[in-house]
Amino acid sequence: MSFDRATIAAYVDGELDLVTSRRIEKSIAEDAGVAKAVEDERALRARLSARFDPVAQEPVPNRLAALLSGNVDNSLSERRLPKWYRPSVLQWGAMAASLVVGMMIGGTALDRDGGYVRDNGGRIVAAGALADALDSQLASTQASTAKVRIGISFANADGQYCRTFESASLDGIACKAGSDWQLRRTMTGGDTSDYRQASAGELVEAAAGMMADDPLDAAAEKAAAENGWR
Amino acid sequence: MAFEQELLAIVPRLRRFARGLARDAADADDLCQAAIERALKSRDQWQAGTRLDSWMYRIARNIWIDNLRASGRRGIHADIDDGVTQIADNSHVRMEASMELNDVDRAMQKLPAEQREAVMLVLVEGYAYKEAAEILEVPMGTLTSRLARGREALIRELGEAA
Repeated sequence: MSFDRATIAAYVDGELDLVTSRRIEKSIAEDAGVAKAVEDERALRARLSARFDPVAQEPVPNRLAALLSGNVDNSLSERRLPKWYRPSVLQWGAMAASLVVGMMIGGTALDRDGGYVRDNGGRIVAAGALADALDSQLASTQASTAKVRIGISFANADGQYCRTFESASLDGIACKAGSDWQLRRTMTGGDTSDYRQASAGELVEAAAGMMADDPLDAAAEKAAAENGWR
Repeated sequence: MAFEQELLAIVPRLRRFARGLARDAADADDLCQAAIERALKSRDQWQAGTRLDSWMYRIARNIWIDNLRASGRRGIHADIDDGVTQIADNSHVRMEASMELNDVDRAMQKLPAEQREAVMLVLVEGYAYKEAAEILEVPMGTLTSRLARGREALIRELGEAA
């Protein structure tokens, strides 16, 4: 065989330089040993993916999600938590107050970041990079460095899909109405960790109050995105 | 984005990784729970701007390895911790999980720990050799030789139809 096993494995792993890769591709046609080795390696990858990838598509168990939803006693969270964490009336009051502030600041965000929002006949709707992220970005696969970060996705009482999002200048909840993502909640984004934590907590609580059912899991989120959030 | 939200977004992949390391689904989620709890406690040690997913994988992997060593039986590990087990333990679920053990699970469990983690990181999680070596805190050459032995054993074990 014209290449050793480690080189062939590195080829399948995408770790080889272009020149060596081309030489291997050439030898696949000429050397049955190389062809077989490449095929074995690819088959192994496929077999492992078939076994383990579905795990990443399963909904996150409540006991793990609860550890990260804040304000709960972690040790017994699975027993105590209802299917989804519902905000209290008091928290709603705080949310309403922040909404007023948020809408005022939302106005100033109109011209920032290359326009995350625009005015569509008196309604503030997502635009530019925010609209793109809401349309296609999945919470389960987004890059940790993404400018707009998607939080949770869910259906509201009107049967619309809604998604929470965060960015440096603007956080909020947008719901898909027709072809637009209408902004239903907005807050100023922020970069300090204290602020971000408080902000994310409020967003999740506001979202919990709007949800018709549990938030979408990774598979449902993907399916909804592929269906254009209709 | 809050730290918790970022972590939550990583959990589906972390569960996949843990599923490849642990002996069954319940143990894998115990491992994830222990890793998340440790990450929340030591969040100050995460350097913003570095990859949170790599950091989480390293934490999970270290807990798993510590646990293997504590059990003193390589390849068979004790429960992650008694407190977690108390909540998670459910013999019914465990039995179902072990019945679902398929060829791939069996072949993976025969691998030494250091080969299994290398296989999971590169072949399943899709990390580059360099990134996987950093997560495991070993030199590149060590990673690639463990990976080579691991995949060779798997291909042999799973046979021609792999």
